[in-house]
Amino acid sequence: MPANQTTSPAGEGPMRYTPRKKKLAPRIFSLYIPIIAILLFLLFPFYWTFVTSVKPEQELYGAAVTYWPQNLTFESYRKLFVDFNFLRPMGNSLLVAVITTVVTLIVSMLAAYAFSRYDFKGRKGFMVMFLTNNMFPSVLLLIPLYAIMRKLGILYTPTALVLAYTTFTIPFSVWLLNGYINDLPLSLEEAAMVDGANRAQAFIKIILPILTPCLIATGVYIFMQSWNEYTFAVMFTNENNRTIPVALKNLIGQLGVQWDLLTAGGIITIIPVCIMFFFAQKRLVEGLTAGAVKG
Amino acid sequence: MKKLISTALALVLCAGTLAACGGKDAGGSSAPASSATPASSAASSEATANEPVTITHWYWADNSEYSAVMQEMVKDFNATNGKNITVVAEEYPWDGGKYSENLFTAVMGGGGPDTASWKLTATPLFTANNLLANLDDYVANWADKDLIEPSLYDVMKQASGTDSIYVMPWNTQVLYVYYRPSMFKEAGVEVPKTYDDFLTACEKLTRDTNGDGKTDVYGFGMRGSKGGQEPWGSFVQARGGNFEDFTTPEAIQGMQDFIDLYTKGYVPPTATADGFNEIIANFKSGKTAMTVHHTGSSAEMVDTFGDDVAAFPFPAGKGQWTSMGDTENVMFESCENKDAAFEWMSYLATGKGQETWCVATGNVPVSKEVQQLPQFQEDRFMKASIEGAPYAGIFPILDTTTEWISNVWPNTVAAALTGQMTAEQAMQELQKALYA
Amino acid sequence: MQKKKMTIWPYLLIAPALIIVLAVVFVPAVNAILMSFQNYDLRRPNQIGFVGFDNYVAVFQDPIFWRSLWKTILWVVFGVGFQFVFGFALALLLNKNFKGRGIARAVSLIPWVTPGVLIGLMWRWIYDGNYGVLNDLLQKVGIISDNIPFLAQQTTAFPSVIVTIIWQGIPFFALMLLAGLQGIPGELYEAADIDGATYFQKLFQVTIPSLKNTIFVTTLLRIIWVANSVDVIFNMTEGGPAYSSQTLSVYIFNKGNSLNLGYASTMSVLLTLLLSLVAVPYLRNMFKKD
Repeated sequence: MPANQTTSPAGEGPMRYTPRKKKLAPRIFSLYIPIIAILLFLLFPFYWTFVTSVKPEQELYGAAVTYWPQNLTFESYRKLFVDFNFLRPMGNSLLVAVITTVVTLIVSMLAAYAFSRYDFKGRKGFMVMFLTNNMFPSVLLLIPLYAIMRKLGILYTPTALVLAYTTFTIPFSVWLLNGYINDLPLSLEEAAMVDGANRAQAFIKIILPILTPCLIATGVYIFMQSWNEYTFAVMFTNENNRTIPVALKNLIGQLGVQWDLLTAGGIITIIPVCIMFFFAQKRLVEGLTAGAVKG
Repeated sequence: MKKLISTALALVLCAGTLAACGGKDAGGSSAPASSATPASSAASSEATANEPVTITHWYWADNSEYSAVMQEMVKDFNATNGKNITVVAEEYPWDGGKYSENLFTAVMGGGGPDTASWKLTATPLFTANNLLANLDDYVANWADKDLIEPSLYDVMKQASGTDSIYVMPWNTQVLYVYYRPSMFKEAGVEVPKTYDDFLTACEKLTRDTNGDGKTDVYGFGMRGSKGGQEPWGSFVQARGGNFEDFTTPEAIQGMQDFIDLYTKGYVPPTATADGFNEIIANFKSGKTAMTVHHTGSSAEMVDTFGDDVAAFPFPAGKGQWTSMGDTENVMFESCENKDAAFEWMSYLATGKGQETWCVATGNVPVSKEVQQLPQFQEDRFMKASIEGAPYAGIFPILDTTTEWISNVWPNTVAAALTGQMTAEQAMQELQKALYA
Repeated sequence: MQKKKMTIWPYLLIAPALIIVLAVVFVPAVNAILMSFQNYDLRRPNQIGFVGFDNYVAVFQDPIFWRSLWKTILWVVFGVGFQFVFGFALALLLNKNFKGRGIARAVSLIPWVTPGVLIGLMWRWIYDGNYGVLNDLLQKVGIISDNIPFLAQQTTAFPSVIVTIIWQGIPFFALMLLAGLQGIPGELYEAADIDGATYFQKLFQVTIPSLKNTIFVTTLLRIIWVANSVDVIFNMTEGGPAYSSQTLSVYIFNKGNSLNLGYASTMSVLLTLLLSLVAVPYLRNMFKKD
């Protein structure tokens, strides 16, 4: 759509910049149709997981594929909560993921800031080291890592998982945050420092608020990695502190997949995280306005 | 040597299940050769019994009911052992067989359990690294040792590549062919008596039932994904092939039969990727008229079909073979309370645990006493297992076997089924990988 | 960036991250590199010993290695490529103001929240050649007349798993780029508006340049992540049929699980070198402004 000066375009990054009223027709093509198409692709498997979780088994393998169960059953959900106490692995996963996210975010932010705003000896070397750190497949590190966890005396405790996940999320987080900070104009802090703030104050008052959306995004990345990880989880936990992926994997035996329980388990692990993110995403906008005011 | 294993197994199952009715057999004569040194430790356990001891046991569960059964057994054992032993059983995912590798990582890393449920194929890896406890002395001094067929102990020894027992039998499963009597009737097919009959039946049972030009029912549910080597072995051996040399003309012919079933469309086109889940689903939904599995799935088959499902043993051609599945228990060298651990293992092998587990799961018991229970004598699927027992066997257990089963076999056979390789090339590939 | 001067601050700031990472991963990683020069097969522990470059020679002569390497390249190029395109598009869309945006943002993360264990199985179930919903949908629309065994054919298995990894990775890019978009000063767009720029002109002249670093970092990290990812392929096809969907990381995973750790380490070292090679232009670009 060629420039239409009076109507602002569907502007991205509406910092101090409120798009005015728009005509509906172009919005259908530029917004609603593409977003519905992408969301359909993203959400259909989720819908299918849900439908599978409320279908009786005969219907799964029936002659015709049904898009809504003929006999709706919530038996699998009852089983998961009553017979399996599925809340426990969920609690364990949450605990591990939250602690990992907090620890990783703090140490990564410090490191990313250093990499972005200082030039120091070994900077490039350290950055490359962080990058290559994650290239080695965990299957090769597993036996020595297991031995390390045992020597530290934290095997079969949530700490072992937190340590492992922190190790494997720090490098990516440092890089992500470094990328974000590099994209922020240096002039913002310089202005503050000219006004007499020291570096730490400038960081807390200026950078941190603008960085909030990026911290949330990185935090979500860390959270997801820890929430969904299986290989370390199966080795470093026992019955008491099993996380969700292991609990789900236990539902697949030699005699096949327990579709009902597995999909129901999937649904109830997805929903709380989505609700959490629904609230977190508001900060994606708040962060930017806060920063904009001071910037 | 592998021949010996299969022969031994045949004997075990044959004697175990049929001759069990004949009362106590004279098994004493074939007591393990290594029983020469009496176990002082086993004896001393009687004396110093009642200090509290905890044994950690790892197991996998094929479904959530089995998991509950295991926990009940543990409760029962803890309440009744009278020696102050507390077993803590922890479930680990089967994970397509990676259970064994996870176990290995833990035991190598020094944090493994005291005892664990087991698959024979994992034995060479663990014994090569000296991780398993030698059970010779325990078995020699064990009151119940004759309840288990001596030849079964021999199989356990063979798997470790030594003369010692490292693995304690628990239960077995014999593969047979499930079929749908109603479909046989509609297609005018008799239950196959020979291997040739079986191949013909696969063809005749493949039908277009609604006249739309597409196949609706396939004769045979072929397993081309991991685990498919078990039914496949029956084809190879039925042609007179063997597992020592996959490249004999007979073995290659067996492979060719397998390929032909696929290319001629007598099995579902998904066969190259079908694992256990798919072959059972296809059979239960009526997409296939026959498929190969063991008693582990008989309960749900009956749930689905009532009387319209039955079984026959895989028929004989020039040779005859069917696969014996196995589950055992082991004790690790790192276990600090071996006497107590053995107590628990024997509870599973010949005690109350044997009965509870086998009744709940429908597996073939290893204890002769339990085999005599009416549940096992009267069940029609158990009968097919018993008929198959005399020629049931296992694949050669070498240190390459696990990789061969998980990666080499499925990929090589898929290449052969889809025409990327000839039967002969595929068999050479399989030979090379197993005997590397 | 601050001028180079001797100060201890940057070292103090990176110290916590560095210490955690090194404490846990240094020994195992060095150990893995050393294993690549050994005949390190735990199935045959008595034969373990240094063999120089024998493993490397063996890997280079292994046709499955070369096939898997090629699959890795396709996997990364198509996987990350489409993830980026759709993820970027989604980020731009989710940045617009519309009713239900919060919910749309939250639910678009679902593929990422879904446990890896479930992703492979669910997609396998969707692709199923007998009961799969995809076959049913395609038939209802009239695109196909017979069921396609998507994961059982060598021609379709690999494209099918690539679609799954695309699905799984879109939210990553969407979220990361959405966050990056918030940092672009509004004045830039206002200036562009005054110049009468079109939507796409603004996209290429304002948005993308402003996001340059974020785009570089996210694609680089995603390339590394996708190249190393195993669970989607493993749960869907285990690399089959006939190795047609086996990437190098899956091959390494299989060899590692077979406890042939020497061979697996060798391939890992090679994969790491390859990824480092990919990273070089990225790094050069990132460090250029120094």
